[in-house]
Amino acid sequence: MTSAQASVSYAIMDDPIAELLGKIAAQDRAAFSAVYSNASAKLMGVLLRILGNRAEAEDALQEVFTRVWLRANRYDADKGRGMTWLIALARNHAIDRLRSRRETQSDDEDAMNAVIDTSPRAETRLIAVGEAKRINQCFETLESDKAAALRGAYLTGTSYFDLAAQFNVPLNTMRTWLRRSLVKLKECMEQ
Amino acid sequence: MTSTPLGLPEDEALAAEFVLGALDLAERTAAKARMKHDSAFAALVNDWQNRLADLNDDYADAEAPNLLPQIEARLFPQSPKSRRWFGWAAGILTAGAIAVAAFVMLPPPAPPAPTMIAELSAEASPLRYAAAIAGDQLTLTRTAGTDAGAGKDYELWIIEGDKAPVSLGLLTTDSVTIPAPKAAAGYVLAITLEPKGGGPDGKPTGPILAAGALKNI
Repeated sequence: MTSAQASVSYAIMDDPIAELLGKIAAQDRAAFSAVYSNASAKLMGVLLRILGNRAEAEDALQEVFTRVWLRANRYDADKGRGMTWLIALARNHAIDRLRSRRETQSDDEDAMNAVIDTSPRAETRLIAVGEAKRINQCFETLESDKAAALRGAYLTGTSYFDLAAQFNVPLNTMRTWLRRSLVKLKECMEQ
Repeated sequence: MTSTPLGLPEDEALAAEFVLGALDLAERTAAKARMKHDSAFAALVNDWQNRLADLNDDYADAEAPNLLPQIEARLFPQSPKSRRWFGWAAGILTAGAIAVAAFVMLPPPAPPAPTMIAELSAEASPLRYAAAIAGDQLTLTRTAGTDAGAGKDYELWIIEGDKAPVSLGLLTTDSVTIPAPKAAAGYVLAITLEPKGGGPDGKPTGPILAAGALKNI
């Protein structure tokens, strides 16, 4: 709910985050502070969802904002919205952490966590959030288990390995499923 | 690589999978490395990032503590001494010096308590170490990443200002405790990947996988 409202207001106000990122690239600390106020709750939501524990999410949040300061000059407003860039930064960092962490875990434990993280029940709740969006209409054109796998992969950064375990199919089958679904999704969104 | 049914070109499929977050560590690392110098691939990634961006609505906001003071303290030190690292370290040390200070996972601390710590990391590498000097001992503990691999070793260095790095030995286990070197806040600890047995001639030859400046606590 809150996030849906937030993205609406960004659209209305053109792209204030993009504007702030431009200022940060010029070393404007007030803009940095403003981005923190505007985006930290959303990014915390992303990190918490992927990492699954608050202490690590907070640690990651510090690192993400450190990178925001250091990399703002690489943001190009012509290539996407400011919030999309921030979330990509947060997702990438969180997924990297997840993968590094998982190399030290046993596979069983790993697959178990994935099952918990991406239970279909957790995803159903979310579909309601932004159902008016084109992407959600396109998800409805996919078979339900494939849509769930795709959404789970995106939202929680679940690896092919874990998705395969979760859906009890060979890894290559999972990869084929998701690649096919991605093609369909792309075609649908281009219509 | 897997073939692409229904004709999504391989590069694009890979870009989509990267954005999706389904790749394993090695594939992700390779994709990120490629984005740096292959602008066509980077553009594909960017397209998929935008295409899937509306899924971001599904991330609910979560209460975030105000961590800005810590972040700013790390980015904008009170007395910004212009530290001049020797050439090969420059880029990475920026990342190292600002590395996350929280989450220092050390073995049960034997007294005395640490007086200096450092977090060693680098942007392009998954390797992370936490370092602590307590009394006359320096302990390095790996907090992320894997072993150096066959035929390789991680080598630890300490660097004072502009001076050449001094080897502190190899990191052959997850946690290593060695006699503390002469050190002060601002000295940098760095880990490089070296041939088995360490850099020949006592000099680093491989890439810096993690680095960070010592600070007093």
